[in-house]
Amino acid sequence: MVREDRADGPHPRKVPLFDRPLSRQALAEVFADCVDYMERTVYLNGDRERTVTVCYLLGMARNERLSDYILRPLAQDPALSRAPEGELFSRLQYGALYNLAAIRRETLDDVVNDLILGSCALFFPGRLDALTLPVPTEEKRAVGEPDNEPALKGSRESFVESIRTNTAMVRRHLKAPQLKIREHIVGRQSRTLVDVLYLEGIADPDTVSQVEEKLDQMDIDGVETAGNLEEYLTDTARTPFPLMAYTQRPDRLCQGLLEGRAAVFADGIPLGWLVPGTMDQFFKTGQDRAYHWLTASALSLIRYLCALITLLVPGLYIALVTFHPEAIPPKLALSIVAAKQEVPFSTIFEVLIMLLAFEVIQEAGLRLPGPIGATVSILGGLVVGSAAVEARIVSPAVLIAVAIAGVAGYTMPSQDFGNALRLWRFLLAILASVGGLFGLALGCAALVYHLAQLESFGVPYLAPFTTGVGATRGHPSLFRLPLPAMKWRDGAVRTQNRRNQR
Amino acid sequence: MNKSLALLLGACLLLSGCTGLPAAREMGDMALLRTMGVDLAPEGLEITASTGPRARGLQGTGEPALVLSAREDSLSAACLALQGLSDSYVFFGYVDQLLLGEELARSGALPVLDYFARDVELGLGAQLWLTRGTTARAAVESGGEQGVEGRLSTLQTDGKLGVAAITRTAGEIYTDLLERGAAFVPVLTLEGEDASLRESGYGVLGPEGLTGFLEGEAARGLELLAGRAPAQVLTVELGSNQVSARPQAVSLRAELDLQEGEPAGLKLECRVEMGLTEDRRSPTGEELAQLRRRLERRALEQIESALASLQEWGADCVGLGAKAGLACPGEWRRIQEDWPALFGRVKIETDVRVVIYE
Repeated sequence: MVREDRADGPHPRKVPLFDRPLSRQALAEVFADCVDYMERTVYLNGDRERTVTVCYLLGMARNERLSDYILRPLAQDPALSRAPEGELFSRLQYGALYNLAAIRRETLDDVVNDLILGSCALFFPGRLDALTLPVPTEEKRAVGEPDNEPALKGSRESFVESIRTNTAMVRRHLKAPQLKIREHIVGRQSRTLVDVLYLEGIADPDTVSQVEEKLDQMDIDGVETAGNLEEYLTDTARTPFPLMAYTQRPDRLCQGLLEGRAAVFADGIPLGWLVPGTMDQFFKTGQDRAYHWLTASALSLIRYLCALITLLVPGLYIALVTFHPEAIPPKLALSIVAAKQEVPFSTIFEVLIMLLAFEVIQEAGLRLPGPIGATVSILGGLVVGSAAVEARIVSPAVLIAVAIAGVAGYTMPSQDFGNALRLWRFLLAILASVGGLFGLALGCAALVYHLAQLESFGVPYLAPFTTGVGATRGHPSLFRLPLPAMKWRDGAVRTQNRRNQR
Repeated sequence: MNKSLALLLGACLLLSGCTGLPAAREMGDMALLRTMGVDLAPEGLEITASTGPRARGLQGTGEPALVLSAREDSLSAACLALQGLSDSYVFFGYVDQLLLGEELARSGALPVLDYFARDVELGLGAQLWLTRGTTARAAVESGGEQGVEGRLSTLQTDGKLGVAAITRTAGEIYTDLLERGAAFVPVLTLEGEDASLRESGYGVLGPEGLTGFLEGEAARGLELLAGRAPAQVLTVELGSNQVSARPQAVSLRAELDLQEGEPAGLKLECRVEMGLTEDRRSPTGEELAQLRRRLERRALEQIESALASLQEWGADCVGLGAKAGLACPGEWRRIQEDWPALFGRVKIETDVRVVIYE
């Protein structure tokens, strides 16, 4: 059996995609049945003997630029009509047209790609090459505020869907020529531009080459969602924890670049990823460096504490109330007993059902439009919750424990990390309902074991708490030192130049 | 992966002691016992346990205290018998007040403390009280529907704040009995028309049982020897002036007088800090010196009264020997075993110094 013939078999990438000589007719065949494909033949300065055909995709090329910078000189410049046949191409390529760039293309693949990216192609009768001139439209969302990472004290700009705008924003923050931006095209059908950014001399070249290698190896139909990149670049299949940190904020991305990480942008996705992803990144916010170091340290400690609360409180409640009641302070135990007496369900069932209900309400709130979502949350959280307590279907202590765990989870700056904690919270609650504190302790040990196994581009996930490779640690991660004392980039990220200030 | 999983499961099995997982119980079906009284009974032992006032439902509607009582030939059998008397699972993990009847104390408290130390639910963290002139059952039942827990809890808190007798946990008493051979326990009596629980000095326990009670001035003396300021206001007449003072802090220093390696005497230096609480006019000069001398004499009398009884019983329940032995650990280790006998005949010199703060 020939594997290539199978519809569900692996499909090798065809290179070149269009194996034909370059010509206007061949291009027209490629774009046959494409209503947005346009051709226009122009007489050079009105000379009917000398023509050039302009090909472009309607909507991808900007009309004004095409008219002013390409068509007008072609139609009105007398010098072009007088130029010898052999020199005409060179004149157009090197200055007769006012466009920023003009590229000579000799393959059909290149011309097709350029057209898709917003260029127009000039074909000359009798020539086997073409000239492409980028005149892309710049229809994009204006740079707005980062909704997911609001800033009280700092820049209010957020990445947008246009990759070039995003790289420009980074370039405006980091004006060093050492900022390198390498481009890759990912997606057989989407042909999405994916850029890798890094600071030469600071970022680890190995990490950069690993990222680029993985991008080149990606052979997928399209990059339409963030997961398309994350799941191919890192080994996320065996863990719910995110292995790449993302941000909407240029300042935060630049801070990551300054720490020695590499950044990844994908066209059409208003986010930037930072690699390698280490656990401490998911507890940091863009505002940590904006606040006073004592405030930032206290908030950082609270976030770590909240991670433990959201992870452990439901399991701890089950373990203590069901298996180890003697560990509960007497007055609290008495009130739990009083409230629990008329509840028909077991504590384990109550907690697990409430955790599930919490997730359902949250999911319903997210899926609905804003104002309705808020109403659902209020209805679900307050009305149904208090009605359930009044009706003695659940005990108030369970409601409080689950609500505390849920609210504590919202302090996680990374939603992905918060989601992973939610999954583990269920697992730990189930283990606690099987073995009490013993089960919970085993679950925690399994979690530490799991986290210690993870790596992101060769860097241990638990870095900088443990570097795993004997590398010197940078600064404490639980709290933030005063900035003048933070003289080192994080050792575990394997930067080339560890010192970041005098 | 399979190897890791097998190792993990093996570790789980070993960590669980290969005995399986703990059993689950619902708290809503539990009667949480708070107070337990143990008496001597013709059948063996009698246990009386109380839950204290209970609440039911969201509004915490009050329910009367549940008092259970059982007589069996052993403590464990009596505890088991209590299970059958209640419609809920009787949980002993919250027993934080333990009352011992006088009769039981006379026959020996160590077996009861042993049981508390070994039981999975009970522990040695409970406050221990001795009942005098009444049984532990009567003391537990004296609380009526409201239970006796509130009263005991108040006495415990007052004791910690220094406005009542020294409270002691079962663990402290158990340790003292095993290490020093004697321990003091606060005593409760039922007094008044309402038969409420009152403090009444201390009982001194030995390994064989109760050796005696210290009341009044002797009880205050014991508190001074234990390094605790007694909850007492001393009023002194100074001619036309009347001054009241209250001990605020006490420190005690003990020193063994060793002659040829044998303890010939024990020197005690007690420093009592007192604060003036009331006066007709502020004492100054000679009046103040006189006040200090009178207070020193009073404290000395209290200490000597307590020491007289303790020496008679051969019960160093406040650990004077151990305290003095800290300065000469080698000698102390040699005489430590014989100390209960030596304590009874060693000559004790006590020096009291009072410092008055206005």
